[in-house]
Amino acid sequence: MKGRWLAVAAALFALALFAGSRMRRLHEPRFPPLGELKAGPFAFQDAGLAAAGFRAPAADLAWIQLLQYAAGSLPEYTDHPGHPYEHLGTLSLRVSRLDPSFHRAVLFSAGMLAWFHGIERPDEAAELLNEGMRRSPDQPMYALYLAALAYKKQGDTDRMIALLESSFDQPETPSTMKAILANLRQSRGEYREALVLWARILDSERDRSEHARARAKISELKSLLAKPAPKKR
Amino acid sequence: MNAIRFQNVSKIYRRSHLGRVTETTGLSGLDLDIQKGEVFGLLGLNGSGKTTAIKLLMGLHHPTKGEVETLGRRASDVEVLARIGYAPEAAYLNKTLTGRENLRLFAALSRIPRAEIEGRVAEMLDKVGLGKAMDQRLSEYSKGMLQRASLAQALIHDPELVILDEPVTGLDPLAIKEVRVLILWLKSKGKTVLFSSHDISEVERVCDRIGILSGGRLVKVMKQDEWRGKPDALETAFAAAVVRTDGVGSIRME
Amino acid sequence: MQTISAVFAYTFKEHIRHKAWLSAALFGLVLLGGAIIVSALGADERARLLLDLGLAAIEAISLVSVVFLTVSLILVEIESRAIYLILTHPVRRSDYLLGRFLGTVAAVAVGMAVMAAMHLGLLTLYGWWEPLRYLAALACVLGKTAVMGALSLLLSLALTSEAAAMAFAVFLWMLGHFSSEMRFLADRSGSAFLKTALVAFSHAAPDFAHFNYRDFWHQAAPGAEWLMWAGVYALAYSAACLALSVQLFDQKEF
Repeated sequence: MKGRWLAVAAALFALALFAGSRMRRLHEPRFPPLGELKAGPFAFQDAGLAAAGFRAPAADLAWIQLLQYAAGSLPEYTDHPGHPYEHLGTLSLRVSRLDPSFHRAVLFSAGMLAWFHGIERPDEAAELLNEGMRRSPDQPMYALYLAALAYKKQGDTDRMIALLESSFDQPETPSTMKAILANLRQSRGEYREALVLWARILDSERDRSEHARARAKISELKSLLAKPAPKKR
Repeated sequence: MNAIRFQNVSKIYRRSHLGRVTETTGLSGLDLDIQKGEVFGLLGLNGSGKTTAIKLLMGLHHPTKGEVETLGRRASDVEVLARIGYAPEAAYLNKTLTGRENLRLFAALSRIPRAEIEGRVAEMLDKVGLGKAMDQRLSEYSKGMLQRASLAQALIHDPELVILDEPVTGLDPLAIKEVRVLILWLKSKGKTVLFSSHDISEVERVCDRIGILSGGRLVKVMKQDEWRGKPDALETAFAAAVVRTDGVGSIRME
Repeated sequence: MQTISAVFAYTFKEHIRHKAWLSAALFGLVLLGGAIIVSALGADERARLLLDLGLAAIEAISLVSVVFLTVSLILVEIESRAIYLILTHPVRRSDYLLGRFLGTVAAVAVGMAVMAAMHLGLLTLYGWWEPLRYLAALACVLGKTAVMGALSLLLSLALTSEAAAMAFAVFLWMLGHFSSEMRFLADRSGSAFLKTALVAFSHAAPDFAHFNYRDFWHQAAPGAEWLMWAGVYALAYSAACLALSVQLFDQKEF
């Protein structure tokens, strides 16, 4: 029985193939093909990690680099004069290509481009959100942000804020977006509402990165509330 | 009854390197029967086929031709190994284990019932003089201690047949004497012992029969009465029978 | 069963006592420490980063350990000849291989469990507590580790070179993560030969792309039935590699 173990191996391999096909039928990971990863200063890092089966960690590192860029400390990407955050979209799509479930990267960048004080590039934000929606049609936050952008274009700030606030506690809402909303309320003289939003940020473990700012803002808003309220804009 | 039977056994080693195949004869047409209760010595120069014959018996090699039987079963049958004890020429033991763990391992491998293992291990380590060192790692053992540990693993399961490959090579005179006593003790217990050696004086002291191997062939078999009481008889027979096959010339000091 | 458990136990002890195991475990802890530092830069995704990078570190260390240990698992015993003493006891070669393999996977699994306990503790501190999903991810990492271990063992026996086996193992690891791409390319390919080759490769290489629970659980995490089939896949693939290893090992001489 010289070939006994060969026969055993063949039978086991057939079982493995069957189990593999069942696995694939039950769940197909939704990663874009590696060919979609764009060339750029981080192409080697991304392709290397993805090829070794570390796409989620690759997306995590890309997210850190996106945050570094947003903070102005990513030497590989520098803005041209007059084009603040011009690579925000590229860097967030990089995260999304590595792991399409990393919705926060696209929402963060779209939020910054559309609502961050002094940027005002809603068209780029819309483009980014549309791309996110194309990749993950099941994720409702993209449609919600697009609708909020539409209100913004119509000048209907009340409905825009109400819509964005409706997603305040959604797990995908970036902390930065929450801070933007609270600041928006404050800039409209709605200190009480702003205070509530900062308090909710402070209560959320996930928004830990905004906690220091939340504490400062809360004390600032409390002192503002102690004074007579300014007229609404 | 035979404890060991070689029937026209040949072993050819084939090695290929960069597509070139070279063949070396390990054993050629070996026919040999060893009776139960017998102490048999295999004598021969380096490369004469002693270790090959032993490896064939232990199932570490497969014969190219012929049949090898131990205790009435084919040597490749692992079940028969439970009745054989084997100590190779050096103590090839796992040095990360302690003396006790090492023997526990071989006791388990020899299918000694779990409940008996601890008692048998302690007893055997005492017998080979390692009782006090049983909880030391083998990496801390001296060469002599390792040799004893190797003997202990060969005997832990009280085998019917004991095979010792070069058991006295490299040992000090006191240790050589202890091995001799051990072989005679095994004989007194009715065990069959096969051992290989270069050392003619040791072989003639303990063996009932010897076989002289040269160039993979069994060139002579002698009984004890052919050398007992006849000084140099075995040495003379050995010198006449063997031919150097390792390409080394003799020493000439004329 | 007694022989498998005896081989398992000494293999496990051997690895745990080896300095390389301790170094790997320490390196894993350093990587976990690195994950904490890096995750601190992740703002509101800190828990996700700590989770992903920690699990990636655990997987990377386990993979490196298992490949490193299994490619030398048998070759080192052959080289040191410790295998002589094991196989000259009533131990089937399949039992020996299985015991060695399981002992190695168990030693790596213990290291993995230590790292995972620390990792899960850290995640709890950061407000992440989904132990069932974590265990599922860890089970998949263990499955990948077992498959890679069996594959490396097979390669080491087929190639009889540690370095070549290691290089092939890493190549197959990469290829395993390209199974979806290979099927995608096969669908698009016009050449029947290329299509067949790609399909064959995608099936022969371990399908790690679909096994990567740790990597894709941020998308919809698969359910219990998927986990069951993933388990069957890992067991059957590892066992198939082991059966092939036994086929090769049975013909080996020492």
